[in-house]
Amino acid sequence: MTRPPLLEIAGLTVSFPARGRGAGQRTVAADDVGYAIYPDQTVAVVGESGSGKSVSAMSVLRLIATPPGRFDSGKILWRPNPDEAPYNLLSLSEREMRRVRGNQIAMIFQEPMTSLNPVYTIGDQITEAVRLHQKVTSKQAIGIAESALRDVGIAEPRQRLREYPHQLSGGMRQRVMIAMALACEPRLLLADEPTTALDVTIQAQILELLRRLQEEKHMAVMLITHDLGVVAENADVVAVMYAGRIVEFASVERLFARPLHPYTRGLLASMPVLGQHAHRLPTVDKAASVPDDLPAGVSVAPHITMQPGVRYGGDAARLHRVEQDHWLLCTLDDGFKPTDTRAEGEAALPGLDYRRSLVAT
Amino acid sequence: MSSAATPATTPPLGPRRVDDGRPTRRPRGRSFASIVLGRTAARTGAKLGLAWIVLLILMAVFAPLIANSHPLLMASADGTLSSPMLDHLTPADAGLFAAFVAGLVVLFTPLTISRRLLAVVGVGLGTLIIVGPGWQLIRGEPLLSRPALVVHDQYRESQANGDIKWAINAPIPYSPTDRLIDRGDTRQLEPSTTHLMGTEANGGDMASAMIHAARIALAVGLIATSISLVIGVTIGGLMGYFVGWVDLLGSRLLEIFSAIPVLYLLLTFAAFFPGDPELFPGVAVPRIYVMMAIIGLTGWVGYARFVRAEFLKLRKMDYVASAKTAGASVPAILFRHMLPNGVAPVLVEASFGIASAILAEAFLSFLGLGLLDQPSWGQLLSQALSDTGRFYWWIAMYPGLAIFLTVLALNLIGEAMRDAIDPKVAD
Repeated sequence: MTRPPLLEIAGLTVSFPARGRGAGQRTVAADDVGYAIYPDQTVAVVGESGSGKSVSAMSVLRLIATPPGRFDSGKILWRPNPDEAPYNLLSLSEREMRRVRGNQIAMIFQEPMTSLNPVYTIGDQITEAVRLHQKVTSKQAIGIAESALRDVGIAEPRQRLREYPHQLSGGMRQRVMIAMALACEPRLLLADEPTTALDVTIQAQILELLRRLQEEKHMAVMLITHDLGVVAENADVVAVMYAGRIVEFASVERLFARPLHPYTRGLLASMPVLGQHAHRLPTVDKAASVPDDLPAGVSVAPHITMQPGVRYGGDAARLHRVEQDHWLLCTLDDGFKPTDTRAEGEAALPGLDYRRSLVAT
Repeated sequence: MSSAATPATTPPLGPRRVDDGRPTRRPRGRSFASIVLGRTAARTGAKLGLAWIVLLILMAVFAPLIANSHPLLMASADGTLSSPMLDHLTPADAGLFAAFVAGLVVLFTPLTISRRLLAVVGVGLGTLIIVGPGWQLIRGEPLLSRPALVVHDQYRESQANGDIKWAINAPIPYSPTDRLIDRGDTRQLEPSTTHLMGTEANGGDMASAMIHAARIALAVGLIATSISLVIGVTIGGLMGYFVGWVDLLGSRLLEIFSAIPVLYLLLTFAAFFPGDPELFPGVAVPRIYVMMAIIGLTGWVGYARFVRAEFLKLRKMDYVASAKTAGASVPAILFRHMLPNGVAPVLVEASFGIASAILAEAFLSFLGLGLLDQPSWGQLLSQALSDTGRFYWWIAMYPGLAIFLTVLALNLIGEAMRDAIDPKVAD
């Protein structure tokens, strides 16, 4: 049984006016980004700072300020109801967009310390989020807020509703953020590095919580992170981004078992291994860290090309389906045989309707 | 808690807990506003300032009870009770009473501090507007059936004639507009036991005029500053949130306004609206409202700058993005999520603003461009030097002192608030 994807990002290109060396030109933050997210699955978007992973997530909710940002091309097709035709989020009016935000698609941020408004109590903030989208009385909203807090594992939710953010710890605040985001039961949750600011034990709890809630509430999660450990444990499907482009897209098992793109290999190689002594950790070689500084048309520094005859970057490179569940950014001079089995009418986007079976822990 | 029963072999992980037998109680969360207000009120300077302002408010609200030519309560010769004071109450008087009572109710009901403050301001302004010009607009006649001709000395006369069995008079038995024509020439009398602060140039009692003038000062100060705040916060907020060309246009507007000296602007505006102007046919707008509008319209530039700077900082905050993500509209983000976080320095500025609005009113009235028929501190001050060039010290000293103390009190409060907000100064 194949279900239509919940969200399809197709050919999304977002640019900003360049600063510094390239002033006057535009820096392409997301370059022809495209992939699909299926219901109930977790898609991890991996990449370093400036690789465009946040920009593509923010674009889904249209949180990019325009200007200075600009949507140069692409579509973001949203299909909250599998039986109906999807609609393009980029062509909605601001008023229609507000009904999607928080209601159908919610987002949680990196910094739980600053993501809650310091002048309002937890209860005020959750009930506000509820009442923006649901016609309920304030009493009912408080009830919803209370059960939302209970869902995220906060003890004594009734008392907590009356507390201010500064009275809570970082992990608690992230739980509150999640409670707020899930209060309206969204179909898709965008989690922008939700655990980066937390310490490792809390990080594990929050990820565990997200996984449980995803199961219970049947929602898809776009997990933006640069932590491959988080990806390995939580994702069903992984998109690796570099310099604004998707360089590799595969199921999580496939990606970790057989990474193809040199950048992905570099990323995986640079993960420290417990118990192994290393004088220096391997690093990813690259020409520059900021897309502003790359030569025109080059999305991957040339010298990290590994296989003769295959170019992984540059203008000619395209995202090709090289295996049934594996997409790779490359040119096909020789080297890879594309197993592009795409039939006419099938979604041209990388996307796998795949959920891994969770082993009970 | 049950550790008493089990033998204490290994201490449990985590912080050591001491059971002192009392029920545990979580400290109640305090909002930023209540913390700041608490810290402000803890300072001696602010306490003195607040005490003076509270005294002024009480005098302003209860002026008709403190200084009035009409007895508060009296029995005529045939024994019927009446209250000439109530009969002569103006809509503004009644409105102030109502606002005061409403303010007390709101202050002592369980609401968060910021909401209480908002409610107080709302109720006060609302009543003033409804009872004052609003009622006249709807019904065509004032709320209270006040006699058209007010004869101040009628009760003194009837009391002398024995037509009144007994009467309770106000502590200062003279209205500010009572020129004591039955007492002969009472102009510019020195302070004495009959007239504690002497009399002014028209023969009225200075003490009474001073008390009634407190109303003008406070009303002008508060309402003019509110007008400035509304304009300044809206313009500054839009500039800071939208940046781009909105900011560009707004900045130019601010520059134009700040290039013209405020006193010059005030004089121009005041000269433009002489007397009681008729804004709509048949509706005369009292000069005091015009004064408030003039002072309010010239004073918003500073607030706009402050709010713009705050909003430029706040728009990058995660909770603003988070509110947007939740689907909040632009007005909700601006005024519900950003404003409460950026309003503190603006409110400090506003307490200085009230002081300067009071000064502006005194300045205009002193020059004869302000209130003519009602006593205000500036207008009294202008009578200190007579046409013949004589200087009357009591007519200069009391209003001067009142202006000085009020401005000082407001500045002390503002200063204490600024320190309370500043994280570097706070404990």
